[in-house]
Amino acid sequence: MSESTVRKSSAGQPAAVQPLLELRDLDTDIALRRGTVHALDGVSLEVMPGETLGVVGESGSGKTMTALSIMGLLPPGGRVSGGQILFEGRDLRSLPADEVRRTRGVRMGMVFQDPLTSLNPTMRIGVQVAEPLRVHERVGRAEARDRAIEILRRVGMPRPERIVDNYPHELSGGMRQRVAIAMALVCSPRLLIADEPTTALDVTTQRQILELIDDLREEFGMAVILVTHDLGVIAGRADRVAVMYAGRVVETAATEQLFRSPRHRYTEALLEALPESAIRESGAHARLYSIPGLPPDLSRPLTGCRFAPRCRHVTDECRTTDVTLSTGEHQHACLHPVPAAPAAPVTLPAPVRVEPAPEPAATTAKAGQPAATPVLSVRELVKNYAAHGGGLLRRTAGQVSAVAGVSFEVGPGETFGLVGESGCGKSTVGRLAVGLERPTAGQIMLDGVDIASLTGRERRRMHRQVQLMFQDSYAAMNPRMRVDAILAEPLEIQKVGDGTARRARIATLLDQVGLSRRVLERYPHEFSGGQLQRIGLARSLALQPRLIVGDEPVSALDVSIQAQVLNLMRDLQRELGLAYVFISHDLSVVDYMADRIGVMYLGKLVEVGPARDVVRAARHPYTQALIDAVPSITPNATAARDGVTIRGELPSAVNPPTGCRFRTRCPLAQEICETEPPLAGDGHQVACHFPLRPESSEASARAGAAA
Amino acid sequence: MTTLSEAVRPGAAPDQPADAAEAPVRGLWRQGLVVFCENRLALVGLGLFVLLAAVCFLGPLFYHTDQVHTDLTAVHLAPGEQGHPLGTDGVGYDQLGRLMLGGQTSIIVGLAAGILATALGTLWGAVAGFVGGWMDAAMMRVVDAMMSIPSLFLFMLLAAIVTPSVPMLILIIGAFAWLGPARLVRGEALTLRSREYVQAMRGMGGTGGRAVRRHIVPNAIGTVIVNATFQVADAILYVAYLSFLGLGVPPPAANWGGMLSDGLADTYSGHWWLLYPPGIAIILIVLAFNFIGDGLRDAFEVRLRRR
Amino acid sequence: MVRYLITRLGQALIVVVLVTVIAFLILHLLPGGAARATLGKEATLEQLAAFNHDMGYDRPWIQQYGMYVQRLLHGDLGYSYQLNQSVVEAISQRLPKTMVLSLLSTLLAIVLAIPLGVIQAVRRNRWPDYAITSLSLLAYATPIFFMGLMMIILFSQVWPILPPEAPQGFTVAEVLADPAGLILPTVTLAIVTIAVYSRYVRSAMVDNLNENYVRTARSKGLSERRVVLRHTLRNGLFPVITLLGMYLPALFSGALVVESLFNFPGMGQLFWQAALKRDFPILLGVTVIISIATVVGALVADLLYAAVDPRVRLRGSTS
Repeated sequence: MSESTVRKSSAGQPAAVQPLLELRDLDTDIALRRGTVHALDGVSLEVMPGETLGVVGESGSGKTMTALSIMGLLPPGGRVSGGQILFEGRDLRSLPADEVRRTRGVRMGMVFQDPLTSLNPTMRIGVQVAEPLRVHERVGRAEARDRAIEILRRVGMPRPERIVDNYPHELSGGMRQRVAIAMALVCSPRLLIADEPTTALDVTTQRQILELIDDLREEFGMAVILVTHDLGVIAGRADRVAVMYAGRVVETAATEQLFRSPRHRYTEALLEALPESAIRESGAHARLYSIPGLPPDLSRPLTGCRFAPRCRHVTDECRTTDVTLSTGEHQHACLHPVPAAPAAPVTLPAPVRVEPAPEPAATTAKAGQPAATPVLSVRELVKNYAAHGGGLLRRTAGQVSAVAGVSFEVGPGETFGLVGESGCGKSTVGRLAVGLERPTAGQIMLDGVDIASLTGRERRRMHRQVQLMFQDSYAAMNPRMRVDAILAEPLEIQKVGDGTARRARIATLLDQVGLSRRVLERYPHEFSGGQLQRIGLARSLALQPRLIVGDEPVSALDVSIQAQVLNLMRDLQRELGLAYVFISHDLSVVDYMADRIGVMYLGKLVEVGPARDVVRAARHPYTQALIDAVPSITPNATAARDGVTIRGELPSAVNPPTGCRFRTRCPLAQEICETEPPLAGDGHQVACHFPLRPESSEASARAGAAA
Repeated sequence: MTTLSEAVRPGAAPDQPADAAEAPVRGLWRQGLVVFCENRLALVGLGLFVLLAAVCFLGPLFYHTDQVHTDLTAVHLAPGEQGHPLGTDGVGYDQLGRLMLGGQTSIIVGLAAGILATALGTLWGAVAGFVGGWMDAAMMRVVDAMMSIPSLFLFMLLAAIVTPSVPMLILIIGAFAWLGPARLVRGEALTLRSREYVQAMRGMGGTGGRAVRRHIVPNAIGTVIVNATFQVADAILYVAYLSFLGLGVPPPAANWGGMLSDGLADTYSGHWWLLYPPGIAIILIVLAFNFIGDGLRDAFEVRLRRR
Repeated sequence: MVRYLITRLGQALIVVVLVTVIAFLILHLLPGGAARATLGKEATLEQLAAFNHDMGYDRPWIQQYGMYVQRLLHGDLGYSYQLNQSVVEAISQRLPKTMVLSLLSTLLAIVLAIPLGVIQAVRRNRWPDYAITSLSLLAYATPIFFMGLMMIILFSQVWPILPPEAPQGFTVAEVLADPAGLILPTVTLAIVTIAVYSRYVRSAMVDNLNENYVRTARSKGLSERRVVLRHTLRNGLFPVITLLGMYLPALFSGALVVESLFNFPGMGQLFWQAALKRDFPILLGVTVIISIATVVGALVADLLYAAVDPRVRLRGSTS
C-alpha cells in the first residue's frame, strides 16, 4: 500500500490516471479438511486502464487465486481475509453483494482455462453468451440474440447466426474458447481476466486466441490480466509482469525489463530453467538450471523469504527477514537481487550461469557410427481404429486413421523427438513402438528383429528392450501398491533375479533417479508430480532397456520441476547409453532434448531431420507454422515473426484429406497437393511439394558423411 | 429395493501437497482404518452392529427363556409382569428372549444372503467385464431381464413354490439379489481394465492373469466389500417383507420381520411391546450396515486422499 | 439419435423375451409342473395327464415355449381355477388401480424430492442437509409396512382424520372418488421414493455445482438463485428422468407391500392373495405383466431423457 503510493509518485505519473484495479495487501485463505491454506499473503498489484498485466507463477503460486479473489469466485472454503480490492476506486470487499455481482457481470469479464467444461453443456451458445445482457441490461430476447450474434462475429466465429443455436459440445476447443471470450465481453467490460486461457489448446490455436485477446483489448479499450504459467505467453503479450511465488508477488516490472534483467533470484532461476534459455545460451545441449526442492506448504506458518530454501544465494538473513517489495518501476522482494543490467542495449537476457555443458554422448552416436543397427526401426507403420457407434450392436461407423505410413529410425543412445498437436497420432506411434498395440500394417524392428515375428516367451522378453514412460505417472501406478512393489513388478514379470537381487536392483534404481530409500514403503498418492515422474523413470529403467518411449513425460510438470526431470533423463542417457523416443507437443522441450525431430500431422510424418535444422530451418509449412506459434521469452520475438499462419481446424481423422493431409489448411497448397508427396531428402527430409527451403548443405553433407 | 449405495458422495476437497519424506509411514489398511474411524457415523454403525449381535447371540447364554413351548397361561403379559422385562406375546413366549432368537435369524440370513449375492454378482460381473464382447452383452441382458422383474414379486413367487426355511430364504434372496453387484463389478472391471497402470504392466510384458491378480482384484475389492454391506441391509429388509406377506419362516422359528408382522395384528389391542421392539431393531440394524458401508467406502477410496 | 433409438428398442425387446423365458422356466420347474400348478393339489393323475396333453405340455420344451409365446401374444396368460377367471381378466381389473397408486405416489415424490435435494445441495454439509439426510436414511431403513402402520396409528387412531383402509372401488373412477382413502397409501409408498430421489437429486446437484460451467455462470454476475435454477437444476435433473425408469421395480415391490397393508384392490394385492393360495397362473401372469411394464417404463424414461438432453440427443449414443 505505502509502496504503491510511493511508486506512483516516484514514477511521476500524472495523478489523473487512476489504476483501474488495485489490490492492497490481499490475503486469501482456503479452509480444507486438514487446516487452512494461506493461498495469498499480502498481494499488492495495480492494473492501469487499457494495459495488459501478466501474472506468472508455477502451480500453487497463487496466480489463479488472485484472479478468483478479484472476481469473488473463490472455491468452497475460500475467503478473502484481509486487504482491499479497489476497482474503479471502490473497494469490492465493502460493497453490498448485489453491487459486487453487477460489477462482476458488467464491468469485468473472465475467461477460464478449460473451454471443454467451462460452458454449460445443455444451453444453446446464444443463450449463454447473451445471458449477462438479459440479466444486467434487461435486454429483450430478440435483441439479446442479435447482440450475441454480433459479439460472436467480433471474436471471429464463422457463421455466428448458426452457431448461436448450437450447443457447446458441437464446437472444437478453440471455438469454445472464442465463445467464452465473447461471453466475457458481451457487456463491454473494463477489465478482462484470462486465467490460463490457452493452456488446454494446441499451440497454433493458442496463437489465434492470444492474438484475438490482444486485438479485442485495443478495440474495447479494456485492461487485461493474463494469468499463466507460461513465461513465453507473457513475454509476447503483456505490458507489465508480476511474478508470483508461494502466495506472494516477488517481482513486478515492465515486461521487457523483467525478461532482460530479472532481479529476484526466483525469476532468474525460473528463466534459466527454461529449455529455451539453455539452447540460446550455449547453442549446444547445455544442462538446464534446475531449482532444487519443492515450493513450501502454505498451510504452515512461514517466515522470511519463501524462496530461501531453494535459492542459490540464500543467507541466514533471508530465512528470518520478511522481505517486502522494493519501490520504483521495477519492484522486487529480494535481499540479494541480481545486479541491475545496464539499461542500454536490447540484446539477450542478462548472462545466466550455465553449468558447463558436458560432452554430449549422443552426438558421437548421431554423427559417428552409421553402421550400428538402429534400436528402433519403424517402416510404413499404419494404425486404424474402428469408429464405433454406441450401443449393443456396435456397428462400425468408419475408420479413424490414427497413423498412416510412418517410418523412422532411432539409433543407439539417440533421442528422437516426435512433435505434433493433439490428435496427430504421436502417442499412438509410441504405444505401437512399445508393443501395447498391434499395428494395422507396417513393420516395427527392435534391434533389427521384427516384433511381429516374435511369439510367446520371445515377445515377453522383447518388453525388456523398450519401456514406456507416461505423462501422468500417478495414473500409471497402481494406487494400492507400495513403491517397492511397483519397482519390483517389471523384475517379477520378467523373472529377473531372486528377492535379494531385486532389492539390490531397486536400491540402485533409486540412487539413479535421486530418491531416498525411504520412499519404498510409501504409496503413490503420497508423492508430488516430480517425485512420481522419478519413480516412473526408475520403473522404466528396471529392466535395463535400450530404448525408453516417453509420452509427454514432463508436460504436467512446472518449469522448475520439469528441468529436474529433463536433466535426470539426460544424465541417465549418458550413463546408460539409452535411446529415447521423446513425444511432446512442446517444441521447445523437444528441441532441447532431441538429436533428431520428426513432425507429425494427422497421422503422417511431414518432416524429419536433425533437431537444429528442423527448428531453425524448417522445410514444411506446417513445421514453420508450429515454430512460429510457440511463444518465446525473447521479448517481441513472437510479434516479429510473420511466417506461416495456418487457419481453420484440424480435419477429422475419420475422413482425412487425400494427398497431402495438410493441404486444406496450407497457405501454399495447389492442385498437385492432392497427390501425396513422398518424404524426400537425405538428412533433413520433408513431405511437401513446395518445401520452404532446400535442404541445407550442412545437413546433406552430414547425411553424406553418414552414408 | 434400490440401495443407497448408488448415491454418490461429494468430491473431497483437495489436500495440500505434503512432502512425502516427512509424513509418518503408514500402510494402506492403516490409513483406511484412520479414515474409517474419522467417520463418526461409521463408528456408531459398527458399535450398533456389535451391540445387537452380542445381545442376540450372547444374550441367551445369560437370559434363559423357553422359546419352544407355548405357555397359554401367560399370554400378552405387559412388560415387567411376572418377570418378563418386555412382556410376552399371544402364545406366551417371552418377548425379550424372542427378540434375541429372531435377531439371530435376521442377522444370519442377512449376512449369508448378502455375502452370497455379492459372491455370485462379483463372479458374473467379473466374467462379463473381462471377457467383453458378445459374452458381455448376453450376460448383461440376462441381468437386465431379471432386474426388470420386481424382486419382491420374484421372491414371493419362489417362496410360494418352496416352503421357506432359513437356508431356503438365504438361497432365494441370495440367488436374486446378485444383480446389483453384478452390474457394479462389471463396470468396475471395464474401467480398471483400461487404467494406465494396467497398460504399464502390459508394457512390461505382463499377462492378463497378472493384471487380474495384482491390479484389478485388489482395486475392485473395496467396491465389492462396500456393496456387500448394503446387500446385507437389503437382505434383512427382504426377510421382513417376506414375513409380512406371510411367506417367512414358520413358527416356532422367529425373525424380527416376522415378529413385527405378528405385532401388526396387535396394533389395535394396545400390545405395543409386540410391535415397536422388533420394528426398532430392524431399523437399527439396517441403519448400522448403511453407516458401516458409507465409512468403508471412504476408507477404501485411496484417491480421495490424493493431494 | 435414430441409431440409439433402434439399439435401445432392440435391447428392450431382448429383455422382454428373456423375461418370458424366465417365467416359462419357473412354470415348468414347479413341482408337478404347470398342470399341478394350474389344477391345484387335489387334481388326479389322469386329470394332470389330460391337461398336459391339451396344453401341449407333453411336447418338446422348445415347442412348448413357442406355444407359450404364441398364447402370450394373443393375450392368453392362462386361467385361474381358484378365481374362476382368466388371468388377463383378473389383471386388467387390477392393473389400472395399481398404476394410479404408483403414478400418484411418484408425482408426490418428485414434487417433494426435487426441492429437498436442491436444498441439501445448496446447503450441503450444514444442518438442513444433515437433517434431510438423516430422515432419508431413517425412511430407507424402515420397512414400508411398519411405516404404513405408523401412519395409520398417527392419522386414523391418535388423530383420526383419515381412513385406515384404501378405497375399495371396482373401477379407477370409483377409487378416485374416495381421495381421503388414497392419501395414506400414496404417502406411505412415496416416502421411501422421496428418500431415494432426494439423495439422487442432491448428489447430481452437488456434482453439477462443482462443475466449471457454474463458475463461468457466476462470473457473469448472475444471482445464486439464477445459477442454481437456470444452470445447475436443468443439468442435474435430466439424468433423474432415467432414475424414474430404473426405480420402477422397487416402486412396484413397494406397491405390493402397501396394497397388502391398506387392502388396496390392485395388482399387488391380487398377487399377494394368489401367493398365499399358491395360485400359480395368477402369480406368473402378474410377474410377466409387471416385468413388461417395467421394461416399457424404463424404455420410455430413457428415450425421454435422450430426447430432452442435448448432450445425448446430439451425440446419438450413450454408453
